Amino acid sequence: MNSVIVLEAKGIKKHFGGVVALSNGNLQCRKGRITGLLGANGSGKSTLSKIIAGVYRADGGEIRYNGKVVHYRNPHEARRDGIALVFQNLSLVPDLTVWQNIVLGVEKNRGLFLDNQSAKELSRKILQQLLPDLDINRKVHELSPGEMQIVEIAKAISENPQLLILDEPTAALEQTQAKNLFNYMRSLAQQGVAMIFTSHRLWEVMEICDDVTIFRNGEDVATIDFEKEGKDPEKIVSYITGEVKKSTIQVQRREISDEVLLKVNITGKDKVLKDVSFELRKGEILGIGGLSGQGQQELIYALSGSYPGVRCDVELNGRKLRLIRPADAIQNGILLVPGDRQREGLSLEHSIYSNMIFPKLGLRGHPLFIPETRYCQECEQIARLLSIKAPGIDVPVNTLSGGNQQKVVVGKWLSFDIKVLLLADPAKGVDVGAKRDLYEYIVNLAKEKKIGVILYASDNEELIQYTDRLLIMYEGRIVATLTGADINDDMITATSMRVR
Amino acid sequence: MNEVSKTGNVFYTFKGLLLKPEVSSFLIFIIMFVITATLQESFFTIKSIVRNINAFTPLILLAMGQAVVIVAGGLDLSSGAALSLFTCVLTTVMKRNDPVTGIYAILVTFAVAILVGMVNGVGIGYLRIPPVIVTFATSYMWLGIALFLRPTPGGESVDWFRAFYKIDAVAGAPAVLKTIGTFIPPALVLLIIGCLLWFIISKTRTGRYIYAVGSNIESAYVSGIDTARTQMLACIINSVFIFLAALFFVGQNQSGDARMGGPLTLKSIAAVVVGGISLTGGRGSVYFALLGALTLSFVNKIIFFANIPNAYQTLVSGIIIIVAIAGPAYVMFSKPKQ
Repeated sequence: MNSVIVLEAKGIKKHFGGVVALSNGNLQCRKGRITGLLGANGSGKSTLSKIIAGVYRADGGEIRYNGKVVHYRNPHEARRDGIALVFQNLSLVPDLTVWQNIVLGVEKNRGLFLDNQSAKELSRKILQQLLPDLDINRKVHELSPGEMQIVEIAKAISENPQLLILDEPTAALEQTQAKNLFNYMRSLAQQGVAMIFTSHRLWEVMEICDDVTIFRNGEDVATIDFEKEGKDPEKIVSYITGEVKKSTIQVQRREISDEVLLKVNITGKDKVLKDVSFELRKGEILGIGGLSGQGQQELIYALSGSYPGVRCDVELNGRKLRLIRPADAIQNGILLVPGDRQREGLSLEHSIYSNMIFPKLGLRGHPLFIPETRYCQECEQIARLLSIKAPGIDVPVNTLSGGNQQKVVVGKWLSFDIKVLLLADPAKGVDVGAKRDLYEYIVNLAKEKKIGVILYASDNEELIQYTDRLLIMYEGRIVATLTGADINDDMITATSMRVR
Repeated sequence: MNEVSKTGNVFYTFKGLLLKPEVSSFLIFIIMFVITATLQESFFTIKSIVRNINAFTPLILLAMGQAVVIVAGGLDLSSGAALSLFTCVLTTVMKRNDPVTGIYAILVTFAVAILVGMVNGVGIGYLRIPPVIVTFATSYMWLGIALFLRPTPGGESVDWFRAFYKIDAVAGAPAVLKTIGTFIPPALVLLIIGCLLWFIISKTRTGRYIYAVGSNIESAYVSGIDTARTQMLACIINSVFIFLAALFFVGQNQSGDARMGGPLTLKSIAAVVVGGISLTGGRGSVYFALLGALTLSFVNKIIFFANIPNAYQTLVSGIIIIVAIAGPAYVMFSKPKQ
């Protein structure tokens, strides 16, 4: 702990709209040391590293770099000062080669022309340690996600940074690639480079980092120096989840029938979604949880027939189906409420009415002329049922609030014969009142009509409160099934991070 | 080696090669070349070659310029109108009996060309207006100015300007140049200048950045590239290519014409596509626009020599182009993947 402090962040604040991402972020990085950042989804760790790298600007607090207070307006200014952020496949140009990408933006000239020879040498030298097999003349769009991630890292290193920020660098890597990366990080540390490393994989952080700072709800709650205090995974998990939140939620679990509604069996060689199989019972709300980006979203999309690349065989009420196109799912009553309602759920410039009837128009056996009067009545009924706050059903949906927009997305399906409702993070960006309305409505729907609901939510609280059974996904597979009293914050975090 | 790189090896199989746009473009070019050469008996005589080069040069130059803009993620619907404008500016500045005005005309028109490129570039790069909109609007501006300068085709040209078309035609030209001119037509020199221009640019930062910006503008931006400036430079380079074409046109016709370039705009875009350059930007070789333009020109010749009735010529040329472009893709995708 005696080496020089390279970077110090004090009391960093940041909010996006009304959402507070960071309320009080503090962090210290020292020369030649690797600092881990840990925390649940939305705890503020990524926001903090992006503020340090100049991607976002802080609303409050100060950052001292080499003793001087700095305010970076963009990533270039930070890079010029020697702070490099490894983007998650954001800064690579697909049609240029590996070496062209590594020097992109900082090319050197020899005379009038570009000095390609030295650029290739530099690229080879860096990749020697990270990924010796990679042909630097290949175009980046031909690479695997893992290889791209390594090129991204090589690009950041090529500028000899003093502080290297690696935000989830191992998510796309294979085991040997990750090993090489760790070895390289150690040699960089010996050269005096300070590093910030974020990862969801707890054991990786424990393996590579010298100390770890844990974030919860926009604040750093603890910093553990592994050398002095040792490595205790249980202790770290307890910091990540916090003890206060547990007691606030009291949930009544409902009795669910044993009748199987949907049997799912997904196989395929997809990069994100691996083999998944489970059963959904009538009237059940089945949650899908885990760390973000472990294939939950893809699972939901596969079930709605809109994720090519995997084979999605299901058995609905004993009838075998293969879901290839969205129409297959809709025709059979498997209906999706997508997460990104503005992009995937609604035609924003169109009226509530138009949005609600769109999915009907493509059904097999739909009459040639649209029965407007009947549809209008249906639509008004649904609007009342969901208490959509709008002057009428003919107003464009982009005039509605987020919560009411989401009700329209759900409302689209209410005139259908719903068998299974798929929800992909339905309450994202929805205010508390509308969120409660929405979930209560869905719970009632499940209870009364005996439909099955599959719910993916990035907020664990929603999962704890509303699901009857919870599947935890990790790297495209289901790694745990929680029921009853096991559906709590501690268990979710522990199983998500594979501590238990 | 992992799974992904194995599937990457598809590109080394025959079908995979066909799918590579460069390879299929080259094959189409060879096919059209062979057909034309068989149909036209005098194809390999110097006279015929020179005539062909003269006929193809304006489209080739426009297509190469267009390719630069398209690779940078843009599109230029104003290139034909810009060509017309440049011919009108040239013939307005020149006075028949004053040879020096030829030099002035070249300088003034070059400045106009840079300006034209900058206007398109500011719209596309800095104001971030969709390229189709910007260049559609500017095409009317260029046409409007050209019509103002030259309401009907005509204008004056100095005698030595013929050297851009045929050195023989210039009265006082040295005998040596005349002899060279019979073997190496001035049009070919203009093409070589164009290719050299792109060769030099492609070895500099600007050339690299044009591909980077067209491939993924966000990635290029976060890598510290001035994307707006890069797109503007692409538009200016395009303008220089059009300028070269204008020199040839005025040399050939000794006059300016506000409406002559119009039909070349879409042809130049088609030539770029036939040359295997992706309309979405970032992919393909600018030199292949030359090949694409040649392919299109050969198609016209084939129809001419095949004695197809006049009324069907346009229809047949359309069909040939579609078959030529879609053929390789069809071969690839008609067979189910394992």
